[in-house]
Amino acid sequence: MTIQEIMERAGTKDTTLAIAWMKDAFHLIQSNVKESTKVQKSNIIDGIRKYPLPADMIALKSISVKDTTDDKYKKIRRIIQEPTVTEDTDPE
Amino acid sequence: MSYDTNKSWLYRLEGRYIYLWQYMDGAATTMLDGHRIQLPDEYYGKQLIYPDEDITNGLRIEYTSLSEPFVDEAWESLSASASGTTISFGDGTTVITGTGLFGDFDTDGGEGIRIIGSASNDGDYTTASADDDSITISGDTFTLESAGESITVYQIPDEDASPSETSHLNLNRMLSLATVDYLKAQLADRKGDVQMKEYYMREFWKKVGDNNSNKRKISMSFPMSPFAVK
Repeated sequence: MTIQEIMERAGTKDTTLAIAWMKDAFHLIQSNVKESTKVQKSNIIDGIRKYPLPADMIALKSISVKDTTDDKYKKIRRIIQEPTVTEDTDPE
Repeated sequence: MSYDTNKSWLYRLEGRYIYLWQYMDGAATTMLDGHRIQLPDEYYGKQLIYPDEDITNGLRIEYTSLSEPFVDEAWESLSASASGTTISFGDGTTVITGTGLFGDFDTDGGEGIRIIGSASNDGDYTTASADDDSITISGDTFTLESAGESITVYQIPDEDASPSETSHLNLNRMLSLATVDYLKAQLADRKGDVQMKEYYMREFWKKVGDNNSNKRKISMSFPMSPFAVK
């Protein structure tokens, strides 16, 4: 459906504002029903636990870590509570 | 060497960051010839540790984003598609070959296409021209690949980074209709008509919900209880 068709159905002639609202609607849809997803892969580094979430993320679908024995990405679980370990200077 | 990562890795979210942890249970271990071995007489118990190895592209995050909200063509109008095991690619060339397969594609080019199933040429490209037996792309080249793989080439819309009134919303028809309700809700909000705004927002979510439930066709049947007969 074209932007013009959507504007005519909604009864508005302000294209710039209509486009901004359409982006808002797209954002709401992506936030709630995950209409289309993206994947970002990054390196895991020995001794580093903190990794940034994608800057353009609206809603998180899953986090997986690569199992190098069979080269498959497997979903990992979320910790609910704060871990007892606050810093690990010797991750072995 | 990471193994059973679904059992031995955990994450925690804090603000804009993911904190990764490895779950360890038992004694201290060390690596020997690529194998993790347990050291005798050193029991640590259950604990969480920082990631203790480098894994290239080891962290995979799947998420939604506001990418490509507008495209140059409606999803419903995309019909060009070709599949087969006779599709081949030339080394460093811009041509895909597949005898008699590409008649549905626009001969003038300018279409977005996605290739899946190839050994080394999967990806999104833009066509420059097409005929029954081949597609020529622009702005990219292929890696040499002989026919044999089961390859599918299908049309996708190109992103419209500067949307105008002729651009299409990158959503199907049902979600586009939901967007109409969202616009009506915002217009009602501007006029201060909260009741009308609420009505259109309910219509918006109803259509979003309908679109989602359209993908789930579930049939349920219940046996009739003999005690229900009076």
